[in-house]
Amino acid sequence: MKILVVDDTEAVLLLISRFVEALGHVAIVARDGAEAVDTWRRERPDLVLMDMMMPVLSGPEAAIAIKQEAGESWVPVVFVTGIGEENRLAEAIERGGDDYINKPVNFRVLEAKLKAFDRTLELNRKVREQSAKLADYYDRAEEEKRVVRHLMEQMVNAERLYDPQLEYWLTPAESLSGDLIAAARTPGQALYVLLADGIGHGLTAALNVLPLTQPFYSMTEKGYAISDILTEMNNKVRQVLPVGRFVCVVLIAIDEANGCVDVWNGGMPAVQLIGADGGTQHSWKSSHLPLGIVPTAAMDVIPERYYLEGSCTVVAYSDGLTEARNPLGEAFGVQRLFDLIARTAPGARMGEVQQVLAEHLDGEPHHDDISLIMAHCGLPQPTAREMARGPAVEPLRLPSQLEPEWRYSMQLGASELRHINTVPFMMSFINKVLGQHESQSDVFLILTELFVNALDHGVLGLDSAIKREPDGIEQYLVERARRLSELRHGFVEIDLAGLRVEGEYYLHIVVKDSGTGFDASSWLDTDLAKAGGLSGRGIALVRSLCATVFYRGPGNEVHAYYRVRE
Amino acid sequence: MTPTVEIEGDVGRVVLSGQFDFSAHREFRQVCETLIADPSVKEVLVDFQNVNYLDSSALGMLLLLKEKIGVANKSLALVNCRDTVKQVLEIACFGKIFTIR
Repeated sequence: MKILVVDDTEAVLLLISRFVEALGHVAIVARDGAEAVDTWRRERPDLVLMDMMMPVLSGPEAAIAIKQEAGESWVPVVFVTGIGEENRLAEAIERGGDDYINKPVNFRVLEAKLKAFDRTLELNRKVREQSAKLADYYDRAEEEKRVVRHLMEQMVNAERLYDPQLEYWLTPAESLSGDLIAAARTPGQALYVLLADGIGHGLTAALNVLPLTQPFYSMTEKGYAISDILTEMNNKVRQVLPVGRFVCVVLIAIDEANGCVDVWNGGMPAVQLIGADGGTQHSWKSSHLPLGIVPTAAMDVIPERYYLEGSCTVVAYSDGLTEARNPLGEAFGVQRLFDLIARTAPGARMGEVQQVLAEHLDGEPHHDDISLIMAHCGLPQPTAREMARGPAVEPLRLPSQLEPEWRYSMQLGASELRHINTVPFMMSFINKVLGQHESQSDVFLILTELFVNALDHGVLGLDSAIKREPDGIEQYLVERARRLSELRHGFVEIDLAGLRVEGEYYLHIVVKDSGTGFDASSWLDTDLAKAGGLSGRGIALVRSLCATVFYRGPGNEVHAYYRVRE
Repeated sequence: MTPTVEIEGDVGRVVLSGQFDFSAHREFRQVCETLIADPSVKEVLVDFQNVNYLDSSALGMLLLLKEKIGVANKSLALVNCRDTVKQVLEIACFGKIFTIR
């Protein structure tokens, strides 16, 4: 230690400082209180050994000045006192002195006291170091949180979440949410909604759900099926997260044009379909492991489909909602949630749930992130879009000679048909060429319908009539998957061309398959408004969107001319 | 929560109690590591008899344990799950990758 020895008697000063040096410390000296303060300021010793009665500034006064300047760091002051100074001594210790030793100095006692102070000083230094480190950690954690929160906001993109069909509510338990809601439309105008719940809360939970947003948005935009998106998300999560980390996910696809909802539920509470009367029409229980646990190849990514009847609402939530406890420890519960929804008008349900939950919590904080999604289906709006536009598309009279501005064609054989998701793949090209939103979604629909027809009915030889039987859709999909996996021969050819006819820009789409063809005339005559049921809507839809649609050969080559709205 | 360990023959049993969540993280890992390191133990049972609540970080700990047990060439089963625990395991579909008895 560096020790400041203060005494106005030269002999005592010399005696004590020599002794201190003999113990291996460094001694510096001062001869009165004022000098002591100056020397302390200059030399910053670890400890002060100080006489009490001194000229200019007394020991206790100098101690107060030194303590004040030292602030946070601790400088022990030990008074060396003569007989008769007891009264002033008590006062001095009360005002900041740390200990005292009597004159004449017993050197054995002084040595012991210096050792004790050395230990305490060391401890004090450690505590200060650690608390500085802790404060540093805290600042850094706050800064990290700030960055991640910003990142989450950018990636979740609340603006994009706006959709007339969708209501959502998300309240994190901490400043960062481990729940994630994302929503976007495919080019075919299906609404995809993602609800994810990462394990834990706060920063690490938020990091868990981050890898999901990018595949969700980019693949939805290109029109991939939710199975493809799940595959990609599982790959990402497994790539990025360590063992023991996983993400519970619900992925919902609401396709109003085809009147169906697909849901894949991995580890989340059951998703419910609530009818206009408030009752549950259908429920999608968790039937898969959360993402990130098993390799993608071992995963079943096929969603469960339900066909809509009338207007209804898809309700999905994270367990933070139903597990939110009131001050008595009672959980909000699934029963209470759906009772509440059943007796509330569709438009007021979200607000009602928020209010009743707030009453239930009664000021108690919720321990997990809470999120709730309500997606409305069968509302009387965009479904009728294509019908209303019918007469606007003038029938096209084709001149005999047509020079396309560009052509893009490809042929897919059996093995490509088995694993390439063709339409989204082609849409990346279409997006670059057309670059206009409304037309893009029309082209997506046309390509999807024509390609699915060519593959399902042409190459695979499936009969739409299966769909009309009870459980038909299920049966149809199973049969389709079986035939596709066994496919060894066959092809689908797709030919796209951009051309101008009488100053208008058209997209010419030709889809040809290796099937035997079919008599399309009856389908082409069917009015879309009347083409109900589960089959035959596809061709009627294409016809309503295009200027001209016709079949060639035995009916395995279809030509569609779509007028691009520039 | 303090997990206890019982060894009978070649079966090691981790008995949990109360709330199984992140706060049990260190103790749970320690007792599991003892069982994994014990060459006489061939099967590890995680006993939920006295557990009334399980959260997602507990599921994460189970996944980690499963991985370590696999590396050590031992088998693992989750036993005596009461309704609330069973529900959580069911929602997470853990029945697909764990033996639950």
